Amino acid sequence: MSKIFIVEDDPSIRAELTELLQNSGYETDCVTDFSRTAETILASDPDLILLDINIPYINGEEVLRTIRQKTDTPVIMVTSRTSETDEVLSMSFGADDYITKPYNPTILLLRISAILKRSVKNVQTQTYRGLEVNDAKGSLIGNGKECVLTKNEMIIFRLMLDNMGQIVNRDDLMTALWDNDEFVNDNALTVNISRLRSKLTDMGCEDAIETRKKQGYILT
Amino acid sequence: MNTGRFIRDRLPAMFIRAAAVLIIILFMYSYRVSYGLIIAVMIVAAAAEAVTLIIDYLKRKPFYDTLENSLEKLDKKYLLSEMISCPDFYEGSELYEALSESNKSMCENVAEYRRSAEDFREFIELWVHEIKLPIASLLLMAHNNKSEISEKMHTQLRRIDGYTDQVLYYARSENAEKDYIIKEVQLKRIVSAAAIKNKEDLLLNSVQLNISELDFTVRTDSKWLEYIISQFMANSMKYRSPDREPEIDISAEKTADSVVLKFRDNGIGIPESDMPYIFGKSFTGENGRTHNKSTGMGLYIVHNLCQRLGHRVEAESVQGEFTEFRIIFGNNSFLDLTEL
Repeated sequence: MSKIFIVEDDPSIRAELTELLQNSGYETDCVTDFSRTAETILASDPDLILLDINIPYINGEEVLRTIRQKTDTPVIMVTSRTSETDEVLSMSFGADDYITKPYNPTILLLRISAILKRSVKNVQTQTYRGLEVNDAKGSLIGNGKECVLTKNEMIIFRLMLDNMGQIVNRDDLMTALWDNDEFVNDNALTVNISRLRSKLTDMGCEDAIETRKKQGYILT
Repeated sequence: MNTGRFIRDRLPAMFIRAAAVLIIILFMYSYRVSYGLIIAVMIVAAAAEAVTLIIDYLKRKPFYDTLENSLEKLDKKYLLSEMISCPDFYEGSELYEALSESNKSMCENVAEYRRSAEDFREFIELWVHEIKLPIASLLLMAHNNKSEISEKMHTQLRRIDGYTDQVLYYARSENAEKDYIIKEVQLKRIVSAAAIKNKEDLLLNSVQLNISELDFTVRTDSKWLEYIISQFMANSMKYRSPDREPEIDISAEKTADSVVLKFRDNGIGIPESDMPYIFGKSFTGENGRTHNKSTGMGLYIVHNLCQRLGHRVEAESVQGEFTEFRIIFGNNSFLDLTEL
């Protein structure tokens, strides 16, 4: 389980963010004494840091610089500022990504999982019911067969696989697709899901995707 | 300097002096002073008068000439006192001092207003950043506690977020020289970002978004361009046609010296009579009256931003059929921008 460190001075956002990340299966840690932000982060040794730019005592950019001297842990800068300057600055200090408040929670989760996937070395190939999921080729391999998924189907399958056993609603699927420049509409999503279903059935996985009325889909 | 008026001003004094000289001559005549002496006195008096007049005239002429000239040429007339130097005759120096004094006081006054406007703008910016915190918090709460109501709240929160952004962009667009970073950006990336930002609304309105031929780089500020495109999208949804499925086509085209971004929807269009005014401040037009309420600020801000970024924005529309906005990014926009 990956550990995410939250640096956020607004207690309400901090609590909600913790809940959001824990619901998505991450371990979290946070700082409440901002006079020792950088030390606390380093002591906690997280896999990823969500760093707010506007924090008390020192600003986030300085924290980032201090951390960068010691470790290569990926950092996502979070801010309510919307000027390009901050983006350019934090990237130059070595942030891995940048997101502005108020962010879309789904997009935040997508960014986090994308960065974690990039940073974790020796990724174990993920399997689903004995099928090997090959992200690079965009295909499922197993039972002596290989089935190529389209880009859209792969994005959908990925998101469901990352949230295995939990309901993924249509909106989250849509966000994931749009985040990858696939501006599908409601009907296209339905079509993509039914195609994915039949491909999974072809590979020997019957009833893999369950529909929960008015809530979304669930991969079992 | 008007010579006639200068002499006319001095006529009464000259008359009095002439009268005095006349009286002196009468006295001299009655004391039987020789004619030669009388004539000499007359000549001396006349010469003295003429020399005084000429000296006076020459002293004033340069000062009044600069004054008139500067006043005519200056496009900021209040800078007049900076253009003239203190003359060495009494009325002139008095005038000069009064002018400098009143100018100084006006400058202070203007500076005070400028400061208070600046303070207000800073406060607004700060406020927008502050308000984003509770919005972010509420968005997370809605996401963490999913239900039918939370979905609805989500939509409303996005609206609140949109409006606060508008305040921020307006506050900055008026005085935003410091807030531009012009760099090469991919049109496709910006359009995608704008689409994702408006995803909920676009899906809610079941808009078919078609994006094509966007593989161009332009020089612009990505945040501002994203805002401009979001504004177009918001308008397309606001003024969608009731008889057909809404569609938005975004494409780009490269011409010899520019890249043109085209944003076209199949909405209700804009009446021809309103077309010349759509970019004006607070203009709402027929659509604004008959459809949703409109602030008349959206396209004004767009126009303002485009001007500052050095882009051109054009609109074309056929009522009841379509509206197309075009943003023209000049290839040499870098040169134009140096003039800002």
